[in-house]
Amino acid sequence: MEVSNRETWAALHGMFFGAIFLIAFAGGLAGLWSLRPEWVTVNGIRERMFRLKVGVSVMAAVAWVTVVTGTWIVYPWYRAAPPEDATDLSKYPRSLLLETPGKEQWHTFGMEWKEHVAWMSPILATAVAFIVLYYGNQLIVDKKLRYASIVLYILAFAAAGVAGALGAFITKAAPIL
Amino acid sequence: MATIRVERADGRTVDEIEWKAEELEIVERPNGAAAAAILSAGFGALVLGLLASLSEASTAAHDWFDFQARVGPLSGKTIMSVVAYVASWAVLAPVMWKRSFALNTVFVIAAVLIGAGLVGTFPKFFELFAPE
Repeated sequence: MEVSNRETWAALHGMFFGAIFLIAFAGGLAGLWSLRPEWVTVNGIRERMFRLKVGVSVMAAVAWVTVVTGTWIVYPWYRAAPPEDATDLSKYPRSLLLETPGKEQWHTFGMEWKEHVAWMSPILATAVAFIVLYYGNQLIVDKKLRYASIVLYILAFAAAGVAGALGAFITKAAPIL
Repeated sequence: MATIRVERADGRTVDEIEWKAEELEIVERPNGAAAAAILSAGFGALVLGLLASLSEASTAAHDWFDFQARVGPLSGKTIMSVVAYVASWAVLAPVMWKRSFALNTVFVIAAVLIGAGLVGTFPKFFELFAPE
């Protein structure tokens, strides 16, 4: 069994950071949702607020790490142009998809959407992280701001979800070897 | 105040945990800082969508975005979007920090910006601008 450098980075980008992102999102969303005065005690707020701040900060940081590694490390391997006389395109996923009948749309639609929409996630998650870190306990009583944070947080997750799902399908159709 | 009353096996009744009423003081901060963060995120999303469409519509823009050859035009589009996001936050935050705004208006503007950005990144949309 051997894992290449490229496969390691692809797995880090898609699976390792993705798993941390998911855990941080779940913790952050649960924390934001349950931040209601009727549900929490003062001690509970202290414990919950710390967990919430960690959750949203980790999610934002991991979202940045994921898009940066994806764009600057993994994506160049995906889009690398094959030599003119190449007959085996297995190491050139983009060209492989475009040259394989029935698979073109994994690039023209899938990758084209993924590579752009993914960048929405860290931008939106950073706004939420800032709001939670700066306003803290005020979110318990400021319903509008809390609900806005929840909506932005879910949008950040949805953007990453679209990118992640497309990435998984594209990798299945043309893996980075 | 609430009490968790436990009836033990030996018949004794014990108040195991007693919750005491406590006060939590929250000093309200103006919502301007949040409004600036939300609007700048919306602006960053919008710029991302605009640049994705612009890169498709113009060969000159497509080539200009090629900041890093290995990454291609995506490098320029993402760098410029992040620059727009950070710059707009840097401009809005000091202006809005100590003020409060009608959050509903902020949310509507942000929703329009983010929605337009999402549409702009959608391939079926930006391909409409591709040269014949």
